[in-house]
Amino acid sequence: MENKIKIARVQVDLTQQQLAEKVGITRQTISLIEKGKYNPSLKLCLEICYAVNKTLDELFWKEKGSDEK
Amino acid sequence: MKKIKDERLALKNLNNIRIAYIIQTIGILGILGYDFVTKGIDGMTENPLWFVFILTTIISAYLSMSISIDYEASEKSPKKSFINSLVVLLLISIVVGILVVLTDGFSTVNGIMIGAILFICGLFPIIYIYYLRRRDK
Repeated sequence: MENKIKIARVQVDLTQQQLAEKVGITRQTISLIEKGKYNPSLKLCLEICYAVNKTLDELFWKEKGSDEK
Repeated sequence: MKKIKDERLALKNLNNIRIAYIIQTIGILGILGYDFVTKGIDGMTENPLWFVFILTTIISAYLSMSISIDYEASEKSPKKSFINSLVVLLLISIVVGILVVLTDGFSTVNGIMIGAILFICGLFPIIYIYYLRRRDK
């Protein structure tokens, strides 16, 4: 699942480790989510959104059918 | 050990437990199979592992009932199916009971006992399914 977490994270000047600690998960999970290799639960998505001050739309929204991976 | 808060790792942990469970079950089946070959069916059922195996099988059957109930698309009322299964179970128990009574070497008491045991054993899953269906409505 593609997303814009990496960009948002860099914008608020957080490392993967810092973001992971803020959200309460491990750095490896953040890395996998950024790479689109792990599909986070909605609850975790929201936690990430709060941590980087973005909305779900801004981080995860993708038009239907657009560059399906 | 720290409690796992990361949902990905919690999921992975569950998967690991599943793998361990599968291996354990294969091991138990292997030991029971060995007992069956060397000591026959009585030797196998005397092994305490047989009890463990039956218990886990029953528990997993009950747990999977709550999953299969969600797949049911019918709009039938739970009460109706409950009464239906109860009648069928009653008929089966009575028929088996009568057959036992008619068999040589078994008394009427034996027939009633076996019929009653069959009925009670069948009653539990029926009540559980009824409860699950009611809860979903």
